[in-house]
Amino acid sequence: MGEGLGQTMGQTGGLTPQRPSKLAEAVVAFLIPPASREEIVGDLHERYRSSTQYAIDAARTIPLAIVSRIRRTADPQVVLMQAFALYLSFLGAAWLRDRSFLFTDWALLRLAIPAAVAMLGLILEDAWTQAGPSNPLLLVRGPAFAVCLALLSQASLRLGDPRFALPNWLALFGGAIALLFCSVVRMLFPPAGGQLHQANAPAHWLRRSVAPIDVHGRYSQVIRAAFVLIVLVVGYLVWTKY
Amino acid sequence: MADRKPDSLGQFEQLVLTAILSLRENAYGVTIHAKVQELAAPRDVSLGAVYVTLDRLEDKGYIASWKSDPTPERGGRAKRCYRVEALGERALQESAITAKRMWDAVEQAWGKQWAKGWGKRWGKQAG
Repeated sequence: MGEGLGQTMGQTGGLTPQRPSKLAEAVVAFLIPPASREEIVGDLHERYRSSTQYAIDAARTIPLAIVSRIRRTADPQVVLMQAFALYLSFLGAAWLRDRSFLFTDWALLRLAIPAAVAMLGLILEDAWTQAGPSNPLLLVRGPAFAVCLALLSQASLRLGDPRFALPNWLALFGGAIALLFCSVVRMLFPPAGGQLHQANAPAHWLRRSVAPIDVHGRYSQVIRAAFVLIVLVVGYLVWTKY
Repeated sequence: MADRKPDSLGQFEQLVLTAILSLRENAYGVTIHAKVQELAAPRDVSLGAVYVTLDRLEDKGYIASWKSDPTPERGGRAKRCYRVEALGERALQESAITAKRMWDAVEQAWGKQWAKGWGKRWGKQAG
């Protein structure tokens, strides 16, 4: 059942293989998170009957595949912690550099926009992370991508509706603090997608296997360094302000 | 794991579990979707909804998955095959028992004659 759905009988009676174009498959493969890419692209290939049917099938499958992957990789508690760290970063940057900004129109909402975009970036980065050995530098990649996305959103807001964009200094300063805060949160609570797993291991084992980082193990120096860096940055900011 | 009491299943979860159970060794995305479509007829079922449910059932420990060897009709890609675990079988059994109790109650309320006629109509619809 279902075997060879991608093949149809030709006019001569022989089997004429039908397959989607390489470009269409490449686009679909790019949009599907790597963890489930192979089987979903394979299933869509097997179900191929025409370009239109393939496009409709892909359009109905990809969003749900992404949502399902996000549900598996996003831990609500960690997401909440990261959202708090992101918002606090931009709020802290405004507080430290120019408190009068906080009393302008829509200030708190304007601060929430880059934080929300960065949060979305973090969630998507987690969903697209390939399973592999945990590496502290890889954990910084997510926050770096998220901050870049937040800065890009600010640039596009400035072109579209500048009333909701943050001043350049605040976006950059807040982004730098967000990078540090989020990196520390992710080092303490590594994302589930970054763990090693076997193809035949039930996913609920994978979720249970994500334990908080061992502070006495090989990450301890990285964590200490990150904390020292944060203390130094905050100390410098406070020193230059007062 | 064996002592864990399974959560109650949603209707779509029941359909997906039943499809995997009936397909045995040949249960993977395409075949599961085709079987669920058959079971849920005339309702239209998307392939994406099947993937979401498969992931959820796997997270709950009701099913297990593994990757098969790549095949040419899939463009050289592997299938993800599924099988029902003991916990999933128990959950499905409980759902079937509940459905049976519901059927008995409906039969009692509307009469055996109605149930017979309805059974015939349903049989024709299902082919």
